[in-house]
Amino acid sequence: MTVDALPYTDFYKAKKGIWSWLFTLDHKRIALLYLYAIISFFLVGATLGILMRLELFQPGKDIIEPQTYNQIFTLHGVIMIFLFIIPSIPAIFGNFLLPLILGTDDVAFPKLNLLSFYLYVLGALFALSTLIFGDGPADTGWTFYAPYSVKTGTNVTMSVLAAFILGFSSILTGLNFIVTIHRLRTPGMGFNQMPLFSWALYATSWIQVLATPVIGITLLMIVAERVFGIGLFDPSIGGDPILYQHLFWIYSHPAVYIMALPAMGVVSEIIPTFAQRTIFGYKAIAYSSMAIAFIGYFVWGHHMFTSGMSGPAAIIFSILTFLVAIPTSIKVFNWLATLYKGSIVIDTPLLYALAFIFNFLIGGLTGLLLGALAADVHVHDTYFVVGHFHYVMFGGTGFAFFGALHYWFPKIWGRMYNKKVANTAFAIFLIGFNILYFPMLILGIMGMPRRYYDYLPEFTSLNQISTVGSWITVTGIILMLINLIVAARKGEKAPDNPWNGITLEWQTKSPPPLENFDKMPQIPEGGPYNFPNAYKHKH
Amino acid sequence: MSDNNNVHISSYKEHFSTWAALILLTFMTVAVSVFGAELRTLSVATAMIIATVKATAVGYYFMHIKYDPKIYKWMMGTVLALFTFFMIMLTIDYLTR
Amino acid sequence: MDHTFHLPNSGHNFDAKSSKLGMWLFLYTELLLFGGLFLVYMVYRELNSEAFLLASFKLNVWMGTFNTVLLITSSMTIAMSITALQKGNKKLSVNLMWLTIIAALGFLVVKYFEWGAKFEHGLVPGMEHYDTLPMGERLYFYLYFFMTGLHGLHVIIGAIFILFVIRGVNKGTVTPERYSLSENAGLYWHLVDLVWIYLFPLFYLIH
Repeated sequence: MTVDALPYTDFYKAKKGIWSWLFTLDHKRIALLYLYAIISFFLVGATLGILMRLELFQPGKDIIEPQTYNQIFTLHGVIMIFLFIIPSIPAIFGNFLLPLILGTDDVAFPKLNLLSFYLYVLGALFALSTLIFGDGPADTGWTFYAPYSVKTGTNVTMSVLAAFILGFSSILTGLNFIVTIHRLRTPGMGFNQMPLFSWALYATSWIQVLATPVIGITLLMIVAERVFGIGLFDPSIGGDPILYQHLFWIYSHPAVYIMALPAMGVVSEIIPTFAQRTIFGYKAIAYSSMAIAFIGYFVWGHHMFTSGMSGPAAIIFSILTFLVAIPTSIKVFNWLATLYKGSIVIDTPLLYALAFIFNFLIGGLTGLLLGALAADVHVHDTYFVVGHFHYVMFGGTGFAFFGALHYWFPKIWGRMYNKKVANTAFAIFLIGFNILYFPMLILGIMGMPRRYYDYLPEFTSLNQISTVGSWITVTGIILMLINLIVAARKGEKAPDNPWNGITLEWQTKSPPPLENFDKMPQIPEGGPYNFPNAYKHKH
Repeated sequence: MSDNNNVHISSYKEHFSTWAALILLTFMTVAVSVFGAELRTLSVATAMIIATVKATAVGYYFMHIKYDPKIYKWMMGTVLALFTFFMIMLTIDYLTR
Repeated sequence: MDHTFHLPNSGHNFDAKSSKLGMWLFLYTELLLFGGLFLVYMVYRELNSEAFLLASFKLNVWMGTFNTVLLITSSMTIAMSITALQKGNKKLSVNLMWLTIIAALGFLVVKYFEWGAKFEHGLVPGMEHYDTLPMGERLYFYLYFFMTGLHGLHVIIGAIFILFVIRGVNKGTVTPERYSLSENAGLYWHLVDLVWIYLFPLFYLIH
């Protein structure tokens, strides 16, 4: 592992001054701007989550008022969904790595990319402005269900506009990635020679482009409703509040796959690299991403089983929901088959990838229970649902996000973190995470409803375990972040290809020069994951 | 990478014929609606079918989909399929309440 | 480091195909944006079909028809202006674009009179008379203003887009070899037409 001694100018040093960052068109710098913004919002959202757990430490009032509690869980949801998890992997790692793994120097529309970032900033400012202006942040939950979102005195309008603007940021990122993937692949790289991360981003981008407009227009209807005092979902003029739920979930269910698919893409990159083995079932993994994106549009109704939707519609949605499990499990089986007989190197990124599979499995299987119409009616809107989606979003996407951070860290900063500390932080994080959320699944089965400020005494002990889990989780996350921050500043120099990966990003310098490649990248022969030592196993 | 070279250029005549067809269809749909008001449901169905024919003509000739690579037809087809599914599921829900 | 090396597949190169693909993707988002409203219209028409029928008689079919003809004609002129540009006839192309903008303004003027009449009759959400309408009719007019309003906004944006193209042709940044911007403005304008093709029968012709 020798460091390439040839002098070159990396993208950090290529241009100087604050303006070179704020008006940069370089996809790597834009990715880093996103990174700093998104991690900050993650920490804000996590703090709100800790506050909620503290309040729920015992029944009755502990630290905050009921109204404040409602506003906190709404803000927690809005920040974590719209400001953290939806943009997390696509906007940070997609931006940084998509051009690198495709062997090009930028996305197709660099200026549009910068515009996306500023729309993100604007949306974030709108969301945070509710803390200061109006009558405080919305207290509706992140779903803004009508008619309550129209009647409440809190500042729903600003929160809804924030989600609207963030939606446009997301659309433009998706549009940019689709065109990049179609037009800018390195010569000789067909769709079926692309790394799986770009397949995942491709599927994600299509959801961003085709689902987000529906929520955009729906949220505008809510704004109009608040401005005129009467609205399209108001039964007194012949409207129907359930129609709002339909339109909301037509976007927000596919949005779940905006969160999950990139994470699966990250795992599909990490696993072959650390098994030093060709991915098992390349096409199955690639096409199942597209299948998930496609089927994801057909299942939104499973969020509304108890809303008053008709029985036949609910049955159809329930059946369709089970179809999504097929491509998802295809991926899991292929990942495990890749590990089988691989030359596995256990390193921090692989640990995160494995934790993703473990947590996602719990999240996915509880999801099947929720997708079953008869079972869902009993656990709908209980802590079971809260546990389920935290396992999928945080345990799945969150772990994949931090896995990606550890995997590409040496490429982004050109330095290596302390692996011992990273592994310790990982262990604390994983254990804390499960202590935090597993009790919620049990609480849900016992019948504790979600979004409640207070609860019956019999739920106390499980709630206390969960709150203790939140402290452990935060310890793990803080340790991890400190380790990474120290490494980015003072870590030892990393080689260009520390993990012996063979996708194109490992062929350039760490950190990459401004134009990414100073010579033509060579696509590996026989497929993107055709590791040389995989051949050794065969012969 | 590429300038707009070697592409199909639609003729003025084709644009004009498309326009004539669209105008004709517009007057047809107005006529059905104004003079065939007692047809009710049938007139709504006719109006929607005519609108779809018009939209196809605009997409196919004015928007050049006819001469574009196949992928544009596929993408448009996907968008329409999704939207049709949304309509079908909402109709099922509201008609079986 | 070799300073002269440049990737052939650079994102900073001009690429007409990228530009067109990007525009189409954007049009899909626009279609689905209006799509959401069409879904609302569809459901509410199912729930309040009698009221929607009665309310639709309060619109002026002839004004609607006139506007339809205007938009279809403008769609033809913008399509022809692209053909003219491709064939190298810049002057004809610019004139056809001006015709398109005039048609857009004509559309907006007619719309202004139509909306004005509705204001006079108090059919606008928030006005006193509006609150006395039967509930389904109130929904109808809410949707009418929301949908035609959003469409009108797109007419204005489309016209401004075409103005930019005219400027580009005059300045020489849009040329017979590099006409992507003009093509994209055309696509956007056709979308405006496309939406109106459905709005017109749904609001004016459902008697």
